[in-house]
Amino acid sequence: MLERHQNTHIRHIAVALDCSPHSIASLTAAAELARLMHADLTGIFVEDINLLRMAELPFCHEVRMYSSETEKFDFSRLERSLKLQAKAAADALQRIAGQFMVNYSFRVYRGIVPAEVILAALDADLLVLGRSGRSPTCRKGLGSTAKKALAEGKKPVLFIQPGFSAREWTILVLYDGSEGSKQALEAALDMIQPGSTLNVLILGETHEESAKMERELSEIIKLPGSTLVYHHLPLKNEKSLLRYIRMINSGLLVLSDRMKISREIVHGLINEIDYPVLLV
Amino acid sequence: MTLPAKLSPEKLYRTCNPLEFSFNTTADIDGPVKATGQDRAFEAITFSMGIKQNGFNLFALGPNGTGKQTAIMHFLSNKAPGAAVPSDWCYVNNFEKPRHPKALKLPAGKASSLSRDMEHLLEALFTVIPAAFSSEEYQAQEKDIREKFQEKQAIAIEELEKKGAENHIALIRTPAGFAFAPEKEGEVLKPEEFMLLKKEERDSIEEKIIALKTAMQSIMAQIPKWQRETQEKIKELNRNIANFAIKPLIAELRNSYATLEEVTRYFETLENDIIENFDQFLEKEADPRELLIGISPGKFSQRSPMFNRYRVNIIVDNSSTKGAPIVYEDKPACQNLVGDIEHISQMGTLVTDFTLIKQGALHRANGGYLLIDARRLMVEPFAYEALKKALRTRQIRIESLAQMYSLVSTVSLEPEPIPLDIKVILLGERSLYYLLSVYDPDFSELFKVAADFEDELPSDIDGKFAYARIISSIVKKDNLHHFDRRAVARIVEQGSRLAEDATKLTAHIQSISDLVHESDYYATAAAREIVQAEDVQHAIDAKILRSSRIRKKIREATLRNSILIDTDSEKIGQINGLAIYSPGGQSFGHPGRITARVRLGKGDVIDIEREVEMGGPIHSKGVMILSGFLGARFAIDQPLSLSASLVFEQSYSGVEGDSASSAELYALLSAISGVPIGQWFAVTGSVNQYGQVQAIGGVNEKIEGFFDLCKARGLTGKQGVLIPVSNVENLMLRNDVVDAVRHGLFSIFPVTDVDEGIEILTGRQAGGLDKTGKYPPDTINGMAVARLNEMAEKLKKFTSSSDNANE
Repeated sequence: MLERHQNTHIRHIAVALDCSPHSIASLTAAAELARLMHADLTGIFVEDINLLRMAELPFCHEVRMYSSETEKFDFSRLERSLKLQAKAAADALQRIAGQFMVNYSFRVYRGIVPAEVILAALDADLLVLGRSGRSPTCRKGLGSTAKKALAEGKKPVLFIQPGFSAREWTILVLYDGSEGSKQALEAALDMIQPGSTLNVLILGETHEESAKMERELSEIIKLPGSTLVYHHLPLKNEKSLLRYIRMINSGLLVLSDRMKISREIVHGLINEIDYPVLLV
Repeated sequence: MTLPAKLSPEKLYRTCNPLEFSFNTTADIDGPVKATGQDRAFEAITFSMGIKQNGFNLFALGPNGTGKQTAIMHFLSNKAPGAAVPSDWCYVNNFEKPRHPKALKLPAGKASSLSRDMEHLLEALFTVIPAAFSSEEYQAQEKDIREKFQEKQAIAIEELEKKGAENHIALIRTPAGFAFAPEKEGEVLKPEEFMLLKKEERDSIEEKIIALKTAMQSIMAQIPKWQRETQEKIKELNRNIANFAIKPLIAELRNSYATLEEVTRYFETLENDIIENFDQFLEKEADPRELLIGISPGKFSQRSPMFNRYRVNIIVDNSSTKGAPIVYEDKPACQNLVGDIEHISQMGTLVTDFTLIKQGALHRANGGYLLIDARRLMVEPFAYEALKKALRTRQIRIESLAQMYSLVSTVSLEPEPIPLDIKVILLGERSLYYLLSVYDPDFSELFKVAADFEDELPSDIDGKFAYARIISSIVKKDNLHHFDRRAVARIVEQGSRLAEDATKLTAHIQSISDLVHESDYYATAAAREIVQAEDVQHAIDAKILRSSRIRKKIREATLRNSILIDTDSEKIGQINGLAIYSPGGQSFGHPGRITARVRLGKGDVIDIEREVEMGGPIHSKGVMILSGFLGARFAIDQPLSLSASLVFEQSYSGVEGDSASSAELYALLSAISGVPIGQWFAVTGSVNQYGQVQAIGGVNEKIEGFFDLCKARGLTGKQGVLIPVSNVENLMLRNDVVDAVRHGLFSIFPVTDVDEGIEILTGRQAGGLDKTGKYPPDTINGMAVARLNEMAEKLKKFTSSSDNANE
């Protein structure tokens, strides 16, 4: 029987910090999760080696954001600036971890940011990332570290969207009967809080299969004090998945990229969706 | 010469016959108090209140306590209800120029409804605007605008990023901006790797990076513009949403006040302001820092001062006014007249807004009548000038005095002036009216009508009934015991006494009112249901007694001969004059010894009081007049060969007035003629150069003062007082004096000229000129001439012997 139980999988959460609004949101969400799951928290800050290398190139100039003026890089100034950013990240971690009363540690690395983050989080049970960080284009969609995490197949990883709180999450889990979706369901049950709602979107080949999966799940999932809602979407309609998820308007989306729907569709979904996503 | 007869008791006191009154007690009297005997004043009031032209304001002049205010109030209370009810006035925020609040004129009663409507509007805005701005439609539109901006920015940078990537150049986000650097497999080239490249390659990379940098610079230059455009779009969206939300509310208001052009114009500016400042209606959480420094957490509540700008400050509310308003301003300070702009302290700074504009009496009385006590107006700094300015300009302009005189240095307001249509009635003493007429050129322009109130009423049946009505109204107003008609008659008699005229009644209503209250007190003390004449008499006697300490002391000193007053023997050159003392408003008379001494001299009369500067100018004038009389009578043929000195014995303070000039003349005549004067007489009256005795004031108190002394020493029947015949009408003497006269124990002689007086005083004829132009030798004048001749001879002899000695 599947039921809400004391988390036994996630004991150590890593969160990437770069002082961007997304990373502060990630930190808050990670601290909330750590509190809920009685896990430790590690803040990871990476000094971007690309920046430091660039500072040593004689012709590289910085174009200032709000003045359009250019200035020659000064290596020592840049280093100092990175140190200050690291300190600000550490301070934020200290403040927020203190607020949620969780154990925390802080590590600083130097290297290519996405790679270093993935590497640093190897020993963590969960990596929490902002959907986008200080990426130059400020575009929608995933930032470079998130993309790297997806590409590297780092799991589980939680992509955070500012404005969502872990305590208030209603959770939507995609379920198609695959192993991956079962893991996703288990992770969702780990995180669901009393009083909140768990939405299960069943993706069946046929209507009958969908109904069968619901019956099976109803038998094994017991969530006293929480609401369990089943939704159904034919698996062949996977292209309208994004629209359907938005329509359900849940909080955290929990899914796996080892489901019946293709990995590309899952990654595309993660890229497009404007909700926090836990990929297991 | 036929000497004047002693006055009969009937002449000494004019009794008011209670049977003249048709009522038994004042409870029987109905109807309002009518001012009697003030026809001239009422004519002036009617004229002033009727004429519409500017400047015909009224100054009601007359002594205090004569009922000017009551009379005018009574007049106005009949006139004002028939007039149109004036408009309401209120101040509202001037959204274009907040320092100049706008005055709105509304029909009577509409100001309060506008105020209510604005409160309701404010209440509705707190619901309607948050609802509109939290709608999904708004949220989606706003998000869309913001995302478009992000998109635009992202696309521009992304294109540049792509262009760089084609040439293996990476766009990198730096702590403060962007930079481009050569990359290989996602990593920036190390300097040593870069240096390993061929020079052409290095130059090419450098050129490309410079081109990309320039392109980035132009994108960065455009970002503020895009931000501005985005902000504009959001503002426009906000305006549209706010406009859509509030339009129906404002339209409803507009319909309600469609006929009032000014108000509908105000609504237009109000609507624009709400649209521009819609965000203040969106609920926000209070800043914890503000909570710490004491700003109320209800900052965004409807009651917050932030929303005062949408409120209405009602300055004049005539919703319950009937006819034209009548306002009496008890404290006519400048700010109480023209209004004031108050300030409140907010975090140590004085701040104000139009809701702190305070109305003045001019606002309340606008369209009606304003009564002000002139003396109080004059003693209030700047008040008179402010009133004049308002009347001259026909508008009420509120100016902060503190601001004008730099007493506070903070932002203040200049509210729009309100047109003024008013009749101002100043109430004051005559002296003040005359002073203002002479010294203030504006006064006669602004107060063209004077209502001169009489000090006295005729003591006819109308006057007496007027008194009865006044007593009745005081009794009813103050819930006192009613007066029976004998008591009313006694008050009427006292009214004559206060007027110092048996044919008049005082118009000093305050004194009558006091007597009514005091009589009621004694009636209550005597457990009487109705106030009787005895109570009135008790009150009069008690009042005299309460203020009798000084009089008693003087009398005691006289009886112990510390003050020498002879009432028994005959003395040459000595006479009893009569003086009035008025300590603390209560007057009493007392005799004073006047003596005259003569010696050889050159005809001058020395007034010792004047020599020592204790005599006032009128007294000195009196002495000079009597010198004139002496010269005319005795120095036609030869110069006076005497010098005389006159003095008020034992006077230790100043002497003023000429009422003792006849007494001084009698003393001189006695001194010159050597005929003694009976000291059982006292004399009062002034004298002119022809020897005629003229009227004086305080005749009753003077007679009573001498009578009291004689009575204390024992009335002999010889004692009496000489008064000018023209003062007989003023006699309203105490009952004990009248009784003494009735029983022949005391006498009062009305005297026309000094010859009559000297005959009564000496018992010897004054003597007139015979056919030869000489006075008979055994008369006062004859003896005086003989004495003067004798002195002239002596002087002549003395002068020639001294001349011989000198030779």
